[in-house]
Amino acid sequence: MKTVKGSYISGYLQIQVNGEYPERFLQTCAANGIMLWEIQKQSTNQCTAMVQLKDVQKIKKLRHGSNYKIYFKKKYGIPFLNKKAKRKKPLLFGLLLSVLLFFMLSNMIWQVTVTGVPEELENKIYERLSSYGVHPGAFTFTVDSPNQIQQLLLEDVPELLWVGIEKRGTSFYLEGVEKLIVKDEEKKSPRHLVANKSGVIKSMYVKKGLPQVRVNDFVEKGKILVSGAIEKLNMEKTKEEENEEVYYEYLASEGEVIATTWYRAEVLIPLQSEHIELTGNIDENYRFGIGSYTFPIWPWNKKEFDDEIKEIDEKKLEIFGWEFPLYIVKEKRMESTSKITERTREQAIEAGIQQAKEDLYRKLGNDARIISEKVLHETNRHGKVKLSLYITVEENIAIEQPINQGD
Amino acid sequence: MKKWHLRLRNLMVDYLSLPSDVLLELPRLTMIGNFHLYIENHKGLETYSETELKVKTTNGYVQILGSSFVLKQMLPEEILLEGEIEEVKYLPS
Repeated sequence: MKTVKGSYISGYLQIQVNGEYPERFLQTCAANGIMLWEIQKQSTNQCTAMVQLKDVQKIKKLRHGSNYKIYFKKKYGIPFLNKKAKRKKPLLFGLLLSVLLFFMLSNMIWQVTVTGVPEELENKIYERLSSYGVHPGAFTFTVDSPNQIQQLLLEDVPELLWVGIEKRGTSFYLEGVEKLIVKDEEKKSPRHLVANKSGVIKSMYVKKGLPQVRVNDFVEKGKILVSGAIEKLNMEKTKEEENEEVYYEYLASEGEVIATTWYRAEVLIPLQSEHIELTGNIDENYRFGIGSYTFPIWPWNKKEFDDEIKEIDEKKLEIFGWEFPLYIVKEKRMESTSKITERTREQAIEAGIQQAKEDLYRKLGNDARIISEKVLHETNRHGKVKLSLYITVEENIAIEQPINQGD
Repeated sequence: MKKWHLRLRNLMVDYLSLPSDVLLELPRLTMIGNFHLYIENHKGLETYSETELKVKTTNGYVQILGSSFVLKQMLPEEILLEGEIEEVKYLPS
C-alpha cells in the first residue's frame, strides 16, 4: 500500500466537483489513471478532492461533455508560487526599485560640514570640495579617499593650516584650522582726548600724551583732557630764532579719565502692575500646510484657552534642496492669565529707582558705575508715582578727537 | 461456460494455492481496526457519501456503512477509506 501525497515541487490542488453524484465523476477520473486523495463529500451534490497539477488537463477533458462543474479551490506548490508572483509584477518591480534606490541613496553624500574656520574660509572650502566632487548629492564611489582630499585641500587653500576629514556614513565632516596671519597694528593718527560730558575728575590714567587737567578739576564738555601735541625741543632753532613760534610733535594720546557725572531722570511708576503668568496648561497640535492653508492632523480636538501664548514651529520638506510647498506646523499654545499686583508707595519708588538705574546703565554701558541716587521730587497722582531722580555716576568721559594739523 | 471457468479457477486456488483475489477477480478488503478499510480489485465506485460507500465487484456490491467517511486515496482499482466503519455488507447484484 503506497500512500499518495502531492509533491510541493510539481504542485497540487484541491478541486470541487458540483453536480449529481459527484463521486461518479471522481470514479471516471480514477479509471483514467488520475490519482485522487483526500476525497470528502460536502453535500449530496458537492465533493472535494486533491489532484496533482499534471492531471488538471485530463480532468478538464473528462469534464468536457459532462454535467459536472469543477472549481479549483486551493493551490499548493511552487508552480503556483510563480504564477502568483507573476500576477504581482508591480510589487516585484517596486521591491527591486526600492532595493536599487536604497543602494543608490546610501552611496550618496548627504551632508558636508566644515567646522572650526571662519565663514569666508568655510565657503572657500565648500567651493573647492565641490570642484573635487564632494558635495551633497554626489556618489561616494566617484569621490577620492579622505586622505587624498585632505592633501588637495591643503594645497589649494593656502589659508588652511590643517584640515581633518572624516567620512561617517553618508556625511563628510571637515575640521579646519586657519593660519593666522598677524597684521601690524595700524599707526594711529594724532589725537587729543577731550571730555564728552561735564563732570568732576575722579581719577586719571594716561598712557600717552600730556595731561591738561588734574584730579578734582571740574571740566566742561569739549575740554581737552589729554593733549596729543607736545612741544618739540629743537635746540638749534631756538638758538637762532628765539621769537619763532613753538613747534609741536603730534602723537595719538591714549588714556582713561574717570569723572563723576550727574544725571536727572524722571520715571513714572503705576501702583498697580499687571503681568502675564503661564498656568502650565499646554496644548500641542500638529497641522499640515499647503501654501497658506493648514489642516489639523493631530489631535483633532483643541483645548480652549481664554488667554494664550502661541509658539509656532514650521518644518518644510526638502529634497535635493528643492522645497516642497507642503509643510508641517507644530503649534504649541500655552494658557496664560494676567495677574494684577498692588504696590505700596515705597515699593513703587524702589521699583522706579531700579528702573531709572537700568535705563542709565543701558545708555552708558557697562563701564559706568552708579554711585548714588537721590529722589528730588515725588508726586502721587492717578494711581501713579512720579519721581524725579538725581543720579551720580562715575564713568570714563574721555573721547578721542583727531588733531587737525592744517597741512 | 462461465461456470466452467469458475470451477477451474477454484480448483487452481485449491490445488496450486494461488491468491484467490487475483484468480477469482474478487475484491480484497483489508481492515485496520474500524477506521481504515483498504479495498483492492473493485470494479468501480457506485456511491460515496459521509456515511456510505458502495463499490461494484464482479458478483455484486460491497456496501460499507459508518460515519465521517473520507477517501484518503483513490486509484483505478484501489480505494483507501478512512472513518468510523460500522458495517461491511455484501449485496448481490
